[in-house]
Amino acid sequence: MLHPAGRARTRFRVWLAARAPRSDTLLLTQRNVYILPTRAGLLFGLTLLVLLLASINYQLNLGYVLTFLLAGSGVVSMHLTHATLRGLTLHIKPPAPVFAGAAAGLDVVLTSPGTARFGIGIKVANEPEYMLSWIDVPALGQAPAQVSFVPAQRGLHDLPTLSVETRFPFGLFRTWAVWRPAIQLLVYPQPESPAAPLPATRLVGGGPSASRTTDSGEVEGVRAYRRGDPMKLIAWRSAAKTLEAGGELVSRDTSASAQRELWLDWQACGGLAPEARLSRLTSWLLAAHRAGIAHGLRLPGREWAPSVGDAHRRECLRALAMWA
Amino acid sequence: MTTATAAPRRGAWPGWKNLPREARDTLFLLGVIAWTVLPHVSHLPPWCTALTAAVLLWRTRLALTGGALPGRWVLVAVLTVAAVLTFWSFRTLLGKEPGVTMAVALMALKTLELRARRDAFVVFFLGFFLILTHFLYSQSLAVAVAMLVSVWGLLTALVLAHLPVGQPSLRQASGLAARTALLGAPLMALMFVLFPRVGPLWGVPHDSAGKTGLSNSMRMGSVAEVAQDDSIALRIRFDGPPPAPDALYFRGPVLTRFDGVEWQPLPPALQRPGDLRVAGPALHYEMTLEPLRLPVLPLLEATAAAPQIEGWRVFGLTDLQWLVNRPVTERLRFEAEAHVAFKHGPTARNADMEEELMLPPSFNPRTLAWAAAVRRDPVYATASGRMLAQMLLQHIRTQGFSYTLAPGEYGRNAVDEFWLDRREGFCEHFAAAFVVVMRALHVPARVVTGYQGTDPLPVDGYHVVRQSSAHAWAEYWEPGTGWVRADPTAAIAPDRINRGSRLAPPQGLVAGALGTMNPELLANLRQGWEAMNNRWNQWVLNYSRGQQLQVMKNLGFDTPSWEDMALLLIGSLSMLALAGAAWAWWDRHRVDPWVRQRLALHRALQSLGIPAAAADSPRALAARVRGRFGAAGELLANQLDALERQRYGRGAITKPDATLTQAVKSCARQIAAALPRRGVQAADT
Repeated sequence: MLHPAGRARTRFRVWLAARAPRSDTLLLTQRNVYILPTRAGLLFGLTLLVLLLASINYQLNLGYVLTFLLAGSGVVSMHLTHATLRGLTLHIKPPAPVFAGAAAGLDVVLTSPGTARFGIGIKVANEPEYMLSWIDVPALGQAPAQVSFVPAQRGLHDLPTLSVETRFPFGLFRTWAVWRPAIQLLVYPQPESPAAPLPATRLVGGGPSASRTTDSGEVEGVRAYRRGDPMKLIAWRSAAKTLEAGGELVSRDTSASAQRELWLDWQACGGLAPEARLSRLTSWLLAAHRAGIAHGLRLPGREWAPSVGDAHRRECLRALAMWA
Repeated sequence: MTTATAAPRRGAWPGWKNLPREARDTLFLLGVIAWTVLPHVSHLPPWCTALTAAVLLWRTRLALTGGALPGRWVLVAVLTVAAVLTFWSFRTLLGKEPGVTMAVALMALKTLELRARRDAFVVFFLGFFLILTHFLYSQSLAVAVAMLVSVWGLLTALVLAHLPVGQPSLRQASGLAARTALLGAPLMALMFVLFPRVGPLWGVPHDSAGKTGLSNSMRMGSVAEVAQDDSIALRIRFDGPPPAPDALYFRGPVLTRFDGVEWQPLPPALQRPGDLRVAGPALHYEMTLEPLRLPVLPLLEATAAAPQIEGWRVFGLTDLQWLVNRPVTERLRFEAEAHVAFKHGPTARNADMEEELMLPPSFNPRTLAWAAAVRRDPVYATASGRMLAQMLLQHIRTQGFSYTLAPGEYGRNAVDEFWLDRREGFCEHFAAAFVVVMRALHVPARVVTGYQGTDPLPVDGYHVVRQSSAHAWAEYWEPGTGWVRADPTAAIAPDRINRGSRLAPPQGLVAGALGTMNPELLANLRQGWEAMNNRWNQWVLNYSRGQQLQVMKNLGFDTPSWEDMALLLIGSLSMLALAGAAWAWWDRHRVDPWVRQRLALHRALQSLGIPAAAADSPRALAARVRGRFGAAGELLANQLDALERQRYGRGAITKPDATLTQAVKSCARQIAAALPRRGVQAADT
């Protein structure tokens, strides 16, 4: 049940969207830059009218000069406002995946082919005005801008429509362009908060573990540092000693703990709704990854064998994000 | 806390450059506002000046200390007080003076609502409006220049408000504002020339209270103090030597009817034949009259024939006054002839000179008694009007009267108070009292207003008559002669009449110092300035319908009308709009100048046989040149290295250096010219 005006607006949006195809690089030209007077611009017009009437009524030639000087500047400012956006090239960098509910930062680079451009604001199209992030683009140069928005849902999404606008120099006109980047954003499910405790691990392979356990319960086994080991796996105390001796960094050997395996199972989430289950699985996945415990993921009809490491983490998160 | 360190200590000026952005922009805007309001100070009531100064200073302090702005209720309260004070000062809220006062107060208070830079539009638009109000008082060159600075300042503040990133310098913002205004200047000129000048759309409120100048009525003593209005009323140029200063009377409204308080002209129906009798040769003159906003032409006494003014109907009254069919709201230029020696009025006593003898009975009883006492004196019992007038002028000269522009207010029996008690006033007082006493002595008399005298030295051949030369004098009737002029002010302040000098108000400090040090220098400066002002008047301010139609004729319109003018204006504006669109279209195809330079250099290198692609940096190309030509290519390679530095080095420049481009090209040509010879040498060895 949409209001007629709202329906018309929606149709206009659809038409607008069809007019500008999705693309990762957008050159702003006369065809895709729009301009309209702002409220201040209308007020300025009213002021000019009052000034003109006063000049006519009091026969003030200097009043005419003032009125026409302001009118001329206003008209020129319209062209300058439009020219501030025209000719700019926008380019978006591939965004990193984010979790639903957390802010995603989109990196946009603006390139000016000629003069310096001032006071350009960029935001997600339907966000309020205070979300604008402002940039100046130097002459013949580039300027990075970051637009943040909060994706609501998990999954592989099209990026929201972005809008670039400026009111430079006098704020009498607002010129803007809408841009629908082609690149897509992967949104992982929102991790459950507060996180539920991890399910119990299971020892695999039988027999006593090769690792020794110290009094504090830490795993003692160490091995040489391998590229890709997370920071928290590095055994800093031992590493300090080996480095002093001219050796290399050492990491904690988790192969011992990898003997324990953890299954993160859709079925183990109790009577939760599907999205809540995904959230819980996500938070478990993150916890298991942090703890360095080999973990497998079991969703109805598919499963991923227990493993550790960033690649595994990304694969599982992607599966959770895309699960339908 | 960052705020504690960022906020400057009270009283310690952190330096313009170190101010936080927000504070600096606010201070700049406050400065522009102060500059815009400043010229109004002379016509604002003192409370308004004080209020504005206090508010602006307070806002400055808040900007420096980062204090909180006052709440809305405080502002509403102050605004109400300002409105009440305005009403108290002017007894009305309508009209020019109260309007300007309120606008200034509003502007000052609005700065207290200046929170976000972008919410400041009301201040800007109010500022533009305030600038216009200055032109109601003066359109001189000085005002124009001062207000141009104001417009620039306001536009700069607008630009600053739309530069949200970082800390843009004032220089940058003002440059951007100036560029925009300069680009708009041709548009301004076009509209100024072609916008059809039409008459006022509705009645213009008439403000003349408390200022020297011409008016259609006179209330003696109602004004405690007149401000000297130094603006120009008219300019006159004589063909031949100018008449003596004491003959330069410019006749305005003749005020005969007196109700005890106010003097007014007789309705034309009651007037009797004027009967002008001229003597001596006619003096031809050209007059440029400023808008007086009265349907009156103050022509030189006595102008016999109506001047021809295109678009106006001029008619004369029998009391020698010249009128036009509507208030003069534009500058008029015309030619006329005057006879300085003349007599006018009936020679024989008509029965109906009652209006000229009429005195309201319940006013000024003591003056009437004084006159009756004079008449009882045997010397004056049967004296003629001329003798009585001489006696009165002598009385004024000897009985402690003095001339002042600030006599204070007079009460109900103003003539009693003036003639018998206080004895100080300006021309109005002297003329009105003289006429009342003459009438009490049974001599028909009336008040004449107008201008008397000109500036001592002509400017560009024009003698300048200022509003401060506005004057009131008297005429009495003498059998056999008619109306005789008597100027009682001349009796007490003869300087004002004989030398044509206006009574100068106290000079400003600088002008005073300059005047005492070198009066000639001051006079020269003033004259040069006036000459420039005259040009300004003739070319800019004088541009009215007549000149506009002339321009149209020069453009080839045979019988131009204002419709033609409107069409021409609309047509030109449309063409300009198309030109703007064309520029935008062309702008799309513009090539980056660096790219253009690169293409030019690559062509030059390719002609030498050096491969150059878009991705090659100048340094890589330089290496190729060195590799190919060795020492012979060193100069060219150095140029390319210089280009690399210009483009990517520490002192990188924003635009390609054209001289470097030329240098590279000429190096390449030299190498190319040397090539075949090198080839021959290589073959020899």
